Amino acid sequence: MLEIRNLHVTVEGREILQGIDLTIGPGEVHAIMGPNGSGKSTLANVIAGREGYTVTAGEVLFQGKNLLEMPPEVRACEGLFLAFQYPVEIPGVANLYFLKAAVNAVRKYRGEPPVDAMDFWDLIHERMELVKMDESMLKRSVNEGFSGGEKKRNEVFQMAVLQPYFAVLDETDSGLDIDALKVVADGVNALRNAERGFLVITHYQRLLDYIVPDVVHVLVNGRIARSGSKELALELEEQGYALYNEEPGRARRAAA
Amino acid sequence: MTATAPSIADPYRQRFAEFLANRREPDSLTGLRRAAFARFESLGLPTRRQEAWRSTDLGPLQAGAWNLPTTAPVEVGSLPDLGQAAHRLVFVNGRYAPALSQGPALPDGVTVTCLSQAAASQTTLVESSLDQAPGLDRHPFAALNAAFWEDGAFVHLPRGAVLETPIHLIFVATGHDALIHPRLLAVLEDGAQATVVVEYRGQGRYLNAPVAELTIGDGAVLHYHQIQDESPQAFHLGAIGLRQGRDSQAQAHLFADGGQVTRTDLTALLDGEGAHCALDGLTLGHDSQYGDFHVRVEHAYPHGTSEQLFKSVLDGKAQAMFDGMIHVRPHAQKSDARQLSRNLLLSRQAQAHSIPRLEILADDVKCGHGSSTGFLDPDAEFYLRARGIPASAARALLVYAFANDNLNRIGLTPLRERLGQVLADRLALLDGDAR
Repeated sequence: MLEIRNLHVTVEGREILQGIDLTIGPGEVHAIMGPNGSGKSTLANVIAGREGYTVTAGEVLFQGKNLLEMPPEVRACEGLFLAFQYPVEIPGVANLYFLKAAVNAVRKYRGEPPVDAMDFWDLIHERMELVKMDESMLKRSVNEGFSGGEKKRNEVFQMAVLQPYFAVLDETDSGLDIDALKVVADGVNALRNAERGFLVITHYQRLLDYIVPDVVHVLVNGRIARSGSKELALELEEQGYALYNEEPGRARRAAA
Repeated sequence: MTATAPSIADPYRQRFAEFLANRREPDSLTGLRRAAFARFESLGLPTRRQEAWRSTDLGPLQAGAWNLPTTAPVEVGSLPDLGQAAHRLVFVNGRYAPALSQGPALPDGVTVTCLSQAAASQTTLVESSLDQAPGLDRHPFAALNAAFWEDGAFVHLPRGAVLETPIHLIFVATGHDALIHPRLLAVLEDGAQATVVVEYRGQGRYLNAPVAELTIGDGAVLHYHQIQDESPQAFHLGAIGLRQGRDSQAQAHLFADGGQVTRTDLTALLDGEGAHCALDGLTLGHDSQYGDFHVRVEHAYPHGTSEQLFKSVLDGKAQAMFDGMIHVRPHAQKSDARQLSRNLLLSRQAQAHSIPRLEILADDVKCGHGSSTGFLDPDAEFYLRARGIPASAARALLVYAFANDNLNRIGLTPLRERLGQVLADRLALLDGDAR
């Protein structure tokens, strides 16, 4: 469903991703772990189509289509979702209005009529319960004045409403206490099914106790240093990333 | 008259003689006009050497001749609809148009009529109220208005009167290089309540210099709306003077969309304890429009509160100016005054200027001001796009959101929706060179 082949990405002339290969099939949950600065968020942003990243080599296919050629809104309409690490505050745009605009944009792209008001309301209420969101958050401006936990819940809520085919969660666990983390994880788990794929990016193993991945990848210095089963996450928790940091550093010195 | 005064001052003298020759009115009223014209002559037409007019380029005003409004019949075209019942008075080139005016019956004691008629029937009240509003004495175009006004609206609510139906005043100009001086005189006695909507619009080239005098007594409530939708060739140089009694509440919502060079000077005098005013303005500028709000809020008594929220959305080479003064007099303790100016630039050539001023002469007050100018937030745009909303729609939504909290302050639902549509239509025309 998502195929990343030999992806090289630079930001302001610096190579951040140095050849990523990753294939995620329908229904699979992959986790990417890695230290700060390893390129985790760059990968998420390149998949979602944020400006400021230059792909120098490689390709990303989403359901067989060249993802990198699509503007961000088309990626979303094709069924890709990014849960932001730092959700943006948009004063003056009510959450509910925003969601409806998003749902209708996707429907329009797919040649469907705008969502029926009653159906939309039912969907919203059903999904709100999933992430234990208060109805008052619908009327508030998007993320404005939300706590860290509310913002992350709002991301999962949006995902639950938009029902993408594939979701990237960029450090959705950062800054959450354990209760908020459980709510977010429950929301994600409720959306897991045989078709939907997930890429869960995290700094901490803790999240993976609640969203249990099929595959864990370790990203270090812009490369996937190792891939394995969920036990790999536990190993990382004990040993840290130091082991992986050594090698590329040494390799670079050798080359110089 | 100073040597530096621009050249249209002299024709004004000639126009004033022509004007008086055709007036038939009480001598006392003519006396007020002469005094006002003398005030204009001592002030002179403003130049950019004067601090208060430094930012306003009146150069384009110098070109070509200006005349008194034509007396020939003119075609007015369609008039804006408030979308609800209203006491509607229409003025064409500063003259009352009774055929276009209408409204339901007024409550006992309430007057909504044209100023010329009021000057005849309620002479004492009109003459004693006229030209008394704060801020008018130093404003050259307000002085010209006081000399040249032909007609306008007169609103009087006696003590405790509540007028539920809004008053809708439409001032239409039809070009012909006319000098137009419409006037509104509104007096709300203690405890009275009214909503007034003033609309300026027109076609062709003209100079509109309207004055609104708003006096509200103790505990009175006034909601004032002004929609400036002048023609693209028009000049609009207006003044609003608001005087508020004790515990009164005033809202002024200004919307500026049209004109070539436009400026409104708004002075609010909190002339009694505990008075509150909320003033906001939204300027939509495109092409090479210049839009200017000069605001002065004067806290004269303790416990007064004031809010100012002025915004602009500028496209093309448009320019906006906001100059906002909060003045707190020595005895006006416990005053609470806030001012915020925010500007959104949609093109690299657009410019916004913001000059906050504070003069605080009391020592126990809360005053705050803030100002920001910027382009659309690329992170917000990306966030919307990442949810499937196309780039153009995302930008339009962000602009709409920026402006919408001003529109949301308008209590008249149909008017709010109409202005929202004006904004939405304008967004559909965005250059798109903001990126």
